[in-house]
Amino acid sequence: MKCPPFDYHRATSVADAVDALQAAGDEGKILAGGQSLVPVLALRLARPAVLVDVNRIPGLAGLERRDGVLHAGALVRHLALADQRQHPLAAEAARWIGHTAIRSRGTLAGSLAHADPAAELPAVLRACDGAVQVAGPSGTRRLRADELFVGALQSALADTEMITGVELPVPDAWGFAEFARRHGDFAVVSVAAARFGERVRIVVGGVAGVPHLVDAGDLATVDGDVSDDRVTLLAAAAADDVDPASDLHGSAGYRRALTEQMTLRALADLAGHLRPVREPA
Amino acid sequence: MKITVTVNGERHRLDVEPRRTLVDALRDDLGLTGTHVGCEHGVCGACTVLVDGEPVRACLMLAVQADGASVATVEGLAGDDGTLHPLQEAFSRCHGLQCGACTPGMLMTAVHLLDTDPDPGRETIRAEMSGNICRCTGYTGIVDAVAEAARRRVTSETS
Amino acid sequence: MAAADPAMTADHGPASGTPVRRKEDARLLTGRGRFVSDLALPRMRHVAFVRSPVAHGRITGVDTAEALEVEGVSAVFTGEHPAIGPVAMRAQSALPGYVETDQPPLARGKVRFAGEAVAAVVATDRYVAEDGAEAVVVDYEPLPPTVCAWAEPAHPVHDEAPDNLLLSRTFRAGDVDAALADAHVVVDRELTTNRHGGNPVECRAGVARYEAADRKLTFWSGTQVPWIVRTQLAELLDLPEGNIRVIAPDVGGGFGVKAVLYPEDVALCLMAMAMPGTALKWVEDRVEHLLAATHARDHRYVLRAGFAADGELLAVKADVWCNAGAYSVHPWTAGIEPLMAGGLLTGPYKLADYECTVRGVATNTSPSGPYRGVARPSTVFAMEALMDSGARALGMDPIALRRRNLILPADVPYRMPSRLVDDSGAYEACLDRAVATFDLHRWRGEQVRRRRDGGRPLGIGVGIYNELTGLGRAASAGPRMAFRTGHDACTVRINPDGAVTVFSGVTSQGQGLETTMAQVVADALGVDYGDVEVRIGDTDQSLWGFGAFSSRQAVIGGGAAHLAGEHVRGKALALAAALKEAPVEELDLRGGQVYMAGQAKPIISLAEVAKVAYLQSDRLPEGFEPGLEGTKFYDPIRGAFAAGAQIAALEFDPATGEIGILDWVCVEDAGRIVHPVIVDGQIAGSIAQGIGGAMYEHLVYDDAGNLSTGTLLDYLMPTAGEIPELRIGHVSTPAANPTGVRGVGEGGTLAPNAVVAGALADALGVEIDDLPVTPARVWELVHP
Repeated sequence: MKCPPFDYHRATSVADAVDALQAAGDEGKILAGGQSLVPVLALRLARPAVLVDVNRIPGLAGLERRDGVLHAGALVRHLALADQRQHPLAAEAARWIGHTAIRSRGTLAGSLAHADPAAELPAVLRACDGAVQVAGPSGTRRLRADELFVGALQSALADTEMITGVELPVPDAWGFAEFARRHGDFAVVSVAAARFGERVRIVVGGVAGVPHLVDAGDLATVDGDVSDDRVTLLAAAAADDVDPASDLHGSAGYRRALTEQMTLRALADLAGHLRPVREPA
Repeated sequence: MKITVTVNGERHRLDVEPRRTLVDALRDDLGLTGTHVGCEHGVCGACTVLVDGEPVRACLMLAVQADGASVATVEGLAGDDGTLHPLQEAFSRCHGLQCGACTPGMLMTAVHLLDTDPDPGRETIRAEMSGNICRCTGYTGIVDAVAEAARRRVTSETS
Repeated sequence: MAAADPAMTADHGPASGTPVRRKEDARLLTGRGRFVSDLALPRMRHVAFVRSPVAHGRITGVDTAEALEVEGVSAVFTGEHPAIGPVAMRAQSALPGYVETDQPPLARGKVRFAGEAVAAVVATDRYVAEDGAEAVVVDYEPLPPTVCAWAEPAHPVHDEAPDNLLLSRTFRAGDVDAALADAHVVVDRELTTNRHGGNPVECRAGVARYEAADRKLTFWSGTQVPWIVRTQLAELLDLPEGNIRVIAPDVGGGFGVKAVLYPEDVALCLMAMAMPGTALKWVEDRVEHLLAATHARDHRYVLRAGFAADGELLAVKADVWCNAGAYSVHPWTAGIEPLMAGGLLTGPYKLADYECTVRGVATNTSPSGPYRGVARPSTVFAMEALMDSGARALGMDPIALRRRNLILPADVPYRMPSRLVDDSGAYEACLDRAVATFDLHRWRGEQVRRRRDGGRPLGIGVGIYNELTGLGRAASAGPRMAFRTGHDACTVRINPDGAVTVFSGVTSQGQGLETTMAQVVADALGVDYGDVEVRIGDTDQSLWGFGAFSSRQAVIGGGAAHLAGEHVRGKALALAAALKEAPVEELDLRGGQVYMAGQAKPIISLAEVAKVAYLQSDRLPEGFEPGLEGTKFYDPIRGAFAAGAQIAALEFDPATGEIGILDWVCVEDAGRIVHPVIVDGQIAGSIAQGIGGAMYEHLVYDDAGNLSTGTLLDYLMPTAGEIPELRIGHVSTPAANPTGVRGVGEGGTLAPNAVVAGALADALGVEIDDLPVTPARVWELVHP
């Protein structure tokens, strides 16, 4: 299990990274935390010609809350995301990722670009209706979560683009629940719930190629009401709305049942966080 | 590619292929075979070392990425006179190891745990050590060892 | 369970029975272990194997030209290479009807499982070797694969066995049909157990170097069985056995998976012989381990049991299929699992009328081999499932039903229906202590409370087992191979300075055998534990040992160590007596000093005696040879049954299937205990592996014979987050062997399948027939 050969470019700036990716044609790959990429390389499931190491690009590890949105740099590590208090949903979700030795290296942008449908942070980005800032050869663009995730392990990013920053609107109430086989495993099913004003956005991970935004219709308008009855109805609606596949870790029916249960837990969690999160002074 | 890495306080200059993992560089280029390889895909934790103080899977980090970094491995834990680190001592007393294959990763994970949380309960220890697979002990001795090392450290600091 | 300070033994008390500091710890804790994976030799080259991506197929072409062009690649070997081609491994057994089949070191003509080694690339380092392996082009003409051992064969795996049946045997005692006809209730169960495997943290590893000038081969191997490997290699490589040195240094876990001579081992040695003077190193990676190291426990049991109205077990009739995989594992044969299953299915229960047909069936999957507990985690699950079903049918308490049928001390020696002789009878004692420690009454109360007040349903599961350990020459439960594994040797040498070096035939993969052997020798000889050094795992150092399997080493290797220690003690005392002109029967050796009865001060030190023996032959009395050492073999003739009982409380969430372990108690009879902390460590570790098998670990093949669980992202081993606090207790009934010990390495693995499945049935009233017990399975059972 040794990586195939590749060239290595340590990028000094975003522009430098984009140039290097462009020079590599479609044979370049960004190396950020490496926690998903290096196993793929070790298994020789990918063979990029060039790895563009973005870890030493200055200025990409910032966390700042402005106007109800957490602006996070691409290189914010999961440990830092878990430790910050400005976006509690992102912090909670980050704590569920792997183990400390994974969180110490893994990056927010790396997780989003990898677009694993069972991963925690893509679900959070979608639940918060967040967006990513992307730099590419023709300049920068902004991709909303709905646009970013295309399919399982597929994002809308071009081979020559990199995520430079992440916008995570801060919900005024939030909940997160996950069912995994073991401590630190990828979720079988995870649910991120975020309330903005009177609307609750529920996103389910692990049931589709992309984090699934539940279409709960009018039920999602809660207007402060997250009563047990409403929670039960929303959880049933979530279970109804997903169309999971069967695999080694569970049948479609089981994943649907977990969707309902995790939605119940996430919404109970949300109900417990009803006090609005204030901007730090 | 030429890199400079400081391992357990000693500076090394290495010329490595970009694809070489940090754990292979430690073991095969520096002869520091105390850090073990268990799965090479970041699951088992056997290769855990500290890079600039943070625990890292050395099988998921390229050696070139450690250029300029400071790496701590199991070989650096005991004193130069052979005095065991309190965690090593506790692992021995509590039978926190059998075959020794997972042990270096366990120790480095525990070193970081006690650095960040000097007095973890057993549940915290179990959660924080759950990124390291041991096939021999059933974990009882490992949890005992980390708990004992923590207890001794807290006791010695308050006495 | 804190180990004592080394100072504890400074009072020259016995080392056995005390938790002395392990000899192994100092190097293993400081990164100074000596594992095969760590070995670096001058001009060493590295090997990567090309492995078959198809489960079954004819090899129509192998093109190595491109691989040989890769810079740094020095050689590529295939099954047809002149160095490899003439050699075939053949696991032999004299069992009637056993079909012998060949296993090539590298596939020849066809491949029989996905992951089988087809070619090997030798290169300057492993990275380059893998580059070369990627460049080898192999063409396959696919054949239909057979994955399931109890399905119609698609196409024979081996031509010699058109029905894929490598072995079948029926165990028969009494008249099972008549007994079933007389039964008050008859219960039927059909069960399958999940394929899983050892997965030690250090995978397999080997370094081979051949010196053509003197035809000597050195093979450093992470093996549990260096002497068996040496004997087999001598035959396969056509070398005098004495010219082969097998060295198993520190080995990072074994659990049976490393008690096998693998085709990769043989290929590595053959390649080394083809490249004299060049050390070749192969370190298995995890993906290779999951694909191609032996698997285990892929079984099906069709069972019928009859009980009398009072709960007496009257009859068991069983049909058993064991998936042997693509090759009969070397040297244990495809009989290893089925024969153990049929021989020990009835476990700790008395039974007269028994009929059990077992089969070893070839399939296009990785070969099955020895794995901790060999077959019995499955058979204990099967037997306890019958007990639980019987209890439900009779309306009896499941524990009372078990008690009704246990082999009791008065029954011992008890001849099991398979004709194995059980010398234990400690089952009820283990069960009693387990039930008391667990506080069954309290947990039953909690169960009732939850049923009444709500809360997650709680179930109590129990598993009782016997563990045939330390098999002597007359107690073989396995296939009739060309060798009997009843004995080990030990040499005790007192050095000129009076310190002791022990050359033991045991091997260690974490069990702490250096420590245990040192304790036994220290006490038998009369020296301090700290003055004993133990050398193991090197066929050039110690005389003989069969190695680590069947929980045999503490019994057999320990017995040999004890006998050798006593023998040398006798020699030392005789020389001391002659030197001091004292009557030998009044002398005692303690703490390295010779004492005369009634005197507080020693009359001479062992060091002084040794000095005379080696360096001052002028002082040697008449009739004494120089030197001070001795070698003894030990064979217990029969085996030593160990007994155990586990009981646990688990809770289940019907909505998610989530399983929580609330309490887990194990009580074992390990006989006399040499090192209490090591023994508890063995038990805890084996329970953890048992829980892994019961709830997490599953090697799954798809219908095409591809392994679907090929990385540790899908093959789930339990971590500190899943294994509960374990409460371990002991009933210590000394066994009839020199040290009184019973083997302890495997017992813990035997019960968790039964315990978890039993708890599920107890909690939710659903019988689970197919392991593992996962949240998804629990949910499916509750929502049929």
